[in-house]
Amino acid sequence: MSARRILALVRNEFRLIAQDPLPIMILVAFPLIMMAFLKPTFRLALLASGHPGATGAEQVVPGQAVSNGFYIVGMTSFAFFAEHGWKTWDRLRVGAGSAADIVIGKTLPRLAVSLLQFLVLFLIGAPLEGLHSRGPLLALIPMVVAFATCLVLLGVLVTALCHTVQQANAVAFGGIVVFGAIGGALVPLEGLPGWAHHVAPATPTYWAMRGFRSVILSGGSIDSQLLPVVTLAAMSAGFVLVALARFRLDDAKVAF
Amino acid sequence: MLEVSGISKSYGPRVALRDVSLSVGAGEIVALLGRNGAGKTTLVSIVAGLRRAESGTVSVGGRIGLAPQESGFYPTLTCRQNLRFFARWAGVSRRQIPGMIERLADGLELTGLLDRQARQLSGGEQRRLHTAIALVGDPALVLLDEPTVGADVQTRGRLVEFVRALAAGGTAVVYSTHYLGEVESLGASLVVLDGGVVVARGSVAEVKRRYARDTPATIENAFVQLTQPGSAIELRVPADVG
Repeated sequence: MSARRILALVRNEFRLIAQDPLPIMILVAFPLIMMAFLKPTFRLALLASGHPGATGAEQVVPGQAVSNGFYIVGMTSFAFFAEHGWKTWDRLRVGAGSAADIVIGKTLPRLAVSLLQFLVLFLIGAPLEGLHSRGPLLALIPMVVAFATCLVLLGVLVTALCHTVQQANAVAFGGIVVFGAIGGALVPLEGLPGWAHHVAPATPTYWAMRGFRSVILSGGSIDSQLLPVVTLAAMSAGFVLVALARFRLDDAKVAF
Repeated sequence: MLEVSGISKSYGPRVALRDVSLSVGAGEIVALLGRNGAGKTTLVSIVAGLRRAESGTVSVGGRIGLAPQESGFYPTLTCRQNLRFFARWAGVSRRQIPGMIERLADGLELTGLLDRQARQLSGGEQRRLHTAIALVGDPALVLLDEPTVGADVQTRGRLVEFVRALAAGGTAVVYSTHYLGEVESLGASLVVLDGGVVVARGSVAEVKRRYARDTPATIENAFVQLTQPGSAIELRVPADVG
């Protein structure tokens, strides 16, 4: 593994992202619009589930950030498939770069994008929607980092498992809806059927929302983030293990 | 610089290479000839470390530069940004990069195009950028897989001249092509593959003398004799001849 190579690839990835900023702008604009639409509905849902004084922002701001955070799964996967489409994948391999150099160099910028997305959505969304947290929002930082890492590694896993960019897109965008819904990001968990409560803990979304709610609705401190952070880290480790078993540098991926 | 010994490779039931051996010294150009599917790209990929052979060994005495068959670069980046990135990836120090880019751009006539996005270049210009990327960091061995495919006559001529100069500077070159005229212009020695087997090797003059049946004895005649199904079978030689 070479820090110099990883740094070179990270810079190149940021340059490529900067050449086409529209997807990043949509990642921020879309959830902000959805927050304004969904807030009144979630106010009623939170009031009905025993949170007096809730405005709806307590669910809609973190919920939209978490569910739209899933787009980074597809973006991470696409970053790998694009190298195949541009026929640069083999050039990276011949340049003496190891698999670790390539994977780390391509995922670190997506992690940065994911964290930036959370930061911007909270910096704009919280005051815009009138979010009043009962606990310190800074206590959420470790959990947000753990969740973003988990999503980016899920993107690597999707890349390892899929052979075509269409497969990767289908899995990534399906994940947004399914994980977002079951995990309680799209709608509050209290509004989901009973079976969903049993399945929810299997999704990263559930643990991210649990972390957010424990601080925002219940006034928890950083201690309340320990279980979500550890669980998300364990999920990340699982994704890495499966990806390591399935990732093949010489896998002939079909991009575009 | 390159020693390939007894390489074999199959894709399922189809044999791509069978007991192929090859050696290329510093400053030498070896042209790989063969029909489509003869095994040229598979051989280049194995030498580059992109594919694994089922048997045999590959020994390379230095860094490899590869220009695969299909042009590969970042389309939204400029030529300079492409070259700079691949130079860093190849381990070239930051200080050496500007001079190296100027040198490559000068040799491949990319100087006026350096700050243009790669996607805005013509086909021939893209092909030259593609070749330039393979040469960043002064590799000891350069693998060019059909570098002039789709290029116009002028571009082909420039690339051939550049490759000759490269070899004159001591770089070992493996040059896969379908253009037999280029082989003579390059002054390359030949390795002819057919059905994954080396059917001839040697200088252009030797191959013409041995295998060209028609008059005049041209490299085209020799190639057709060597690779025509049926008619060339009796002409095939063991891999170690030549």
